[in-house]
Amino acid sequence: MSKKAKKIRVEGTLGVIIGAGMMGALLLAGLLIPWFGKYDANEISENQLMPPSSDNYFGTDMLGRDIFARVFDAVFIDIGTAFAGVLIPLAVGTIIGTLLGISRNRKVNSFIGSLIDGINAFPFLIFVIALVAFLGAGLGSIILALSLVNWARYARIARTRAVVVNQQGYVEAARTLGYKPSRILFRHIIPNVSSETRAYALSDFIIVIIAVAALSFLGLGVNPPQAEWGAMIKDGANIITLAWWAAVFPGLAICWAGISVAVFSEGLTKRIGEGNQQ
Amino acid sequence: MASSAINPGAPAEEISAEQKVPDKNRIALRRTLFGRFIRSLVVAFWVMFIAFSLLRFSPGDPIRLALGTDATEEAVAEMKQKYGLDQSFFVQFYDYFTGVFSGDLGTSFFSQREVTEVVAMHLPVTLMIILLSMGAAVIISIPIALSVALSRRPVITYFFRTSTSISLAIPGFFLALLGLLLFGTVVTWVPAAGYEGNFPSNLKYLWLPALVNCFSLVPILSRVLHSSLMDTLGEEFVETGVIRGVGKLKFYWSYMLRPSLAPTVVLVSYMVGIMIGGTVVMEMIFSLPGIGRELIEAVSTRDYAIVQGIVMIFGLIVVFTSFIGDLLGYLLDRRVTLS
Repeated sequence: MSKKAKKIRVEGTLGVIIGAGMMGALLLAGLLIPWFGKYDANEISENQLMPPSSDNYFGTDMLGRDIFARVFDAVFIDIGTAFAGVLIPLAVGTIIGTLLGISRNRKVNSFIGSLIDGINAFPFLIFVIALVAFLGAGLGSIILALSLVNWARYARIARTRAVVVNQQGYVEAARTLGYKPSRILFRHIIPNVSSETRAYALSDFIIVIIAVAALSFLGLGVNPPQAEWGAMIKDGANIITLAWWAAVFPGLAICWAGISVAVFSEGLTKRIGEGNQQ
Repeated sequence: MASSAINPGAPAEEISAEQKVPDKNRIALRRTLFGRFIRSLVVAFWVMFIAFSLLRFSPGDPIRLALGTDATEEAVAEMKQKYGLDQSFFVQFYDYFTGVFSGDLGTSFFSQREVTEVVAMHLPVTLMIILLSMGAAVIISIPIALSVALSRRPVITYFFRTSTSISLAIPGFFLALLGLLLFGTVVTWVPAAGYEGNFPSNLKYLWLPALVNCFSLVPILSRVLHSSLMDTLGEEFVETGVIRGVGKLKFYWSYMLRPSLAPTVVLVSYMVGIMIGGTVVMEMIFSLPGIGRELIEAVSTRDYAIVQGIVMIFGLIVVFTSFIGDLLGYLLDRRVTLS
């Protein structure tokens, strides 16, 4: 291994470790702080709009609730919703796209293909907003809406990739050996197709974390007492000139989550890119 | 042609083959563009169909919702007849579909406003923000990508790649709030509220939303431009340009940017969708009378006819701009045609 290649590999590994560490720290804080923290996330007090201090690390909001407790209470709501909103379309889109890519039925192929293009034509956030509007606000609707919109993007990637994978030697070999079609599909084709869709899922995760918060920011997310970053920013936005901390800390939490995924995926890309060159 | 007279074999074939190449190109170009056009039409049809069937996702009866719980059965039936909701799904879609072509997107269930009217009134503000943010993104991205590509220092490239991927993780609405905090209160460069419709005076209200909105585009744009600039830098004609000592401006434009532009232009057209999403959020934060704010208001009042119409218009805009982007891409870089 050349010196330069080694350096890139080390940088990549560093990125993966830092990214995973940042996300791990956030999840750990989201697990521990609601249990062991000084304040309950929904505990109303008379100390309204207190600036950050040694007592309330991130200050308090309009109802005197501790923002530090609320920011970390929201971790699993936000990250969990975004995670489900990526995982479901990843699975559905990969399978549908792969089936389209290996199918020989041209009519079905072009029919569903144009449907996929049609879904992808809608601006992502607009389509999700509209679907949530029709399904009713709430986290379940957000996950369903994200899945209904995003599977098409994964399907498009998977279809293109599946056409290539389907012609590879190892698939031909598996066919010649007389393996069952289902075994060839799940053991040989899908793992190779999903390497591409999983890579996209990582960058999609950032977009979806932001979209989940944006939906709550627009008033389409959680029901009021529940702490959620977007909703907290929405509440804080009205009083931002009085109390900047009410909106800034949840915003920083979103940035932290997004950046951890970005650093992780950048590192991973570097490592894989290096592997391909050798 | 003299050679063919002497030897009427292979050379003649070669010459005719060479002459055919541009024709072949043109035919291929026409065929590709025609194919793209047909595909856009099919996709546009799906866009209308999906937007239309959105109404079926609603758990309740939209008419009953609009009339309130104490509406009589007769009133509901009358209203349904008025909006054609008593017809079968496909008859309704046919009516909607033909209506779109005559500029009729239906009527709001609540305010009796025509959807077309709402769109016509509020779309210009939204389009203005999108245009401004795209313009700003291009103006910011080109110098960044150029200087990173020309610097050739690994540290700068590394910094560029890291900072672009990190800035993609910062939500636009958070950035907008910070901007508002900075430019609205610390230095008062942005009017707190209100809006004026005329072109030069509305820039006062639109510059900050457009600037914030373009921050989601700049990282993507400058990265694509950077990588296609790197490809161009590897070409021999760039070296020729350096050796010949071409003037700076001509070198940057003709030798560097012009050959690298095609992927960026196509990308910009694809990014219209993301810009639209960002613009909706900006309109909410800066209280601008755009179509995005209408959408959110319609969503919160469950005015499904308006939601449907706005979603469809945005879908059609994206279909149209991607087609135009592809067209420009082909025209800027003919090599794309044959691949």
